[in-house]
Amino acid sequence: MKVLLVDDESKFAVMLSKRLNLRGIDTDYVHTGKDALEMVGQNRYDVVILDVKMPGISGIELQRRLMDMDPALKTILLTGHGSHDDFKAGSAEAVCYLSKPLKIEKLLQILHQIEG
Amino acid sequence: MIAKFRRALRAFQPKFYRSVSAHYNPYVTFTNYRRIWLIGIFLLIATALLPLLVVTAFHYQLIQNSIDSELILRTERVASNARRAVTFFLEEGLDALRFTVNEFGYGRLTDPDHLQEILRNLKLGFGGLTDLSVISQQGLQIAYAGPFKLEGRDYSDQQWFIQCRKQNLYISDIFRGYRDVPHVIIAVKAFRNDGSYFIFRATLETERLIQILDSYKSGAYADIFIVNRQGFIQTPSAHYGDIFEKMSLPLPSYSSRTEAVIYNDIGSGPIITGYAYISTQLAHTPFILMVVKQKQGMLGPWQELRSKITWFVGCGILIVILVMTLTCTYMVNRLYQADTAKAETMALMEQNNQLVSMGQLAAGVAHEINNPLALINETAGYIKDLFVIKHQYKDDKELLENIDAIIDAVDRCGTITKQLLGFTRKFDPKIQQVDLARLISEVLAFHKKEAEYRNIEVYVDVEGDISGLETDQGKLQQILVNLVNNAFQAMDDGCILEVRAAAEEADRVRLTISDNGCGMPEDTLPKIFEPFFTTKEKDQGTGLGLAITYGLVTKLHGKIAVESRENEGTTFVVTLPKQFKEEMRENESSSG
Repeated sequence: MKVLLVDDESKFAVMLSKRLNLRGIDTDYVHTGKDALEMVGQNRYDVVILDVKMPGISGIELQRRLMDMDPALKTILLTGHGSHDDFKAGSAEAVCYLSKPLKIEKLLQILHQIEG
Repeated sequence: MIAKFRRALRAFQPKFYRSVSAHYNPYVTFTNYRRIWLIGIFLLIATALLPLLVVTAFHYQLIQNSIDSELILRTERVASNARRAVTFFLEEGLDALRFTVNEFGYGRLTDPDHLQEILRNLKLGFGGLTDLSVISQQGLQIAYAGPFKLEGRDYSDQQWFIQCRKQNLYISDIFRGYRDVPHVIIAVKAFRNDGSYFIFRATLETERLIQILDSYKSGAYADIFIVNRQGFIQTPSAHYGDIFEKMSLPLPSYSSRTEAVIYNDIGSGPIITGYAYISTQLAHTPFILMVVKQKQGMLGPWQELRSKITWFVGCGILIVILVMTLTCTYMVNRLYQADTAKAETMALMEQNNQLVSMGQLAAGVAHEINNPLALINETAGYIKDLFVIKHQYKDDKELLENIDAIIDAVDRCGTITKQLLGFTRKFDPKIQQVDLARLISEVLAFHKKEAEYRNIEVYVDVEGDISGLETDQGKLQQILVNLVNNAFQAMDDGCILEVRAAAEEADRVRLTISDNGCGMPEDTLPKIFEPFFTTKEKDQGTGLGLAITYGLVTKLHGKIAVESRENEGTTFVVTLPKQFKEEMRENESSSG
């Protein structure tokens, strides 16, 4: 299973991807929507985990474009803001949304569900 | 027992009687309702009663005066009539003597038999005559007719004889004669053919005079009698002393006319005295006629009327006091209730303001804290991963416990921030169609009374074509309330507030709230939307009003601008989109 993590908080992205890699999930990370589109164009990913709030292309916009490129792609949305309403427009397409700080066990559980 | 009574009394106490709760003090128009109530009652009662009392007093005075002058007139009339009768009685006596002297001459008068006959005839025609005597120029009694033997007596050194010689006529005081009957002496001087003169004298009984006086007496409170010029009583008086004793009233001053005066300081109550100094055509007499009436006794009908008037006025005063007190209590109670209701609403609004600002603060905190928390979480998680998954420090229990503590703390932080964010959700916009004109008038209604009290003119101008405004009514109301509140606090009495609403471009609405109040100095203008910035005194403002307003306007995707000049006034301009759109919110969220 191959996962792409998109978050403008660079250290957060590095740490989370390391932890997922430790648990045997092959994870890449990028910091902008633009890089994410490039990576998805070059590689095949099963799941994209993306932050809703990012400079440039926003999380919601990025999710729409990614779905256009690969309708089979699964997305998980992350937010620092606790408002569930923020996801209404994009969440229909997403597998789920998680608020920061997140529990690694919950993320793993979701990833396993997608894989299984 | 006393406590019970007090409790019962308190049930009748109007609501405003206890002072306004300190909690509402900044919001109420008046604080001391008891004082307003007392002033109100005093003014109402004074206004109602003053004219009544003044008119009543005038009326009393008028009646009193007219009664006094009526009494004086009546007394004067009685005195005048009695005076004429007394004068006539004395003149009649004198005339009879002069007639007798002229008719009979000295020769026949000095003949004792003739004199006896004349006395008999005069008694028949005149009555009350005791004796007659003829006295020579030297004062010797020459002839006498009467019950006593007085011939040969010498009167030359007696007062009456000296006076009669001087004045040709003489009338004596009344005196008790030998038979203990009151008498008066009258005498005339007559000339003989040889130029010498003699005096012809008669003694009269006063029985007839007293009868005449009695016939003028009217009512139990009247007294009529004669005193001499020294104040000794000459005919019987009912109330003011025994005969031949000093009168208990002051001697009236001399007047040639009949007079009447009122004495108010006599022991037996006020009296009216009519008097006349009696004088005949030819000579003065020593007599003063007195007519005395007790005023109290003559006031019967008036006193009845006066007690009726007093009752009527008293009842009127009681009714006025009762009605005015009840009216005033009712009005002040209503005022108190309205004021308290207003204060409650404003206190609630202030509380809401604080809640909104707390929510905004919490949201800001949570937002900012979540990203670093997420980072701590992942970092700590990774360290733990290193230990657990790579098995290098698997058995170092203390290290693992510490790392777990970090993770627990972060977890707790996360819980708190989530709760804070949940709290702000209540303040998310609820979009609906808004009638701007009505909303403005509702908001201004809060200040209607204050504007009236403070003589502040409020102009509202809502352009007719503002329709289809869709936004959060509650938030817009809160924005208006805050700005109008601000304006009222900035304005002195007699200022002008203008609220205008107009369409701006196709899809925006512009609201202008301007006052000509105290304005703000230029250096404070950039700070006014900052939280906790206030120019008001301590405890008067939280410094959040405009910050909240700013937050609310932003939440409705509007803009707020301010223009102000010190001592000239302040204008706030709020522009809002006509239609509140969902995408705007997403853009706003994702760009934050």
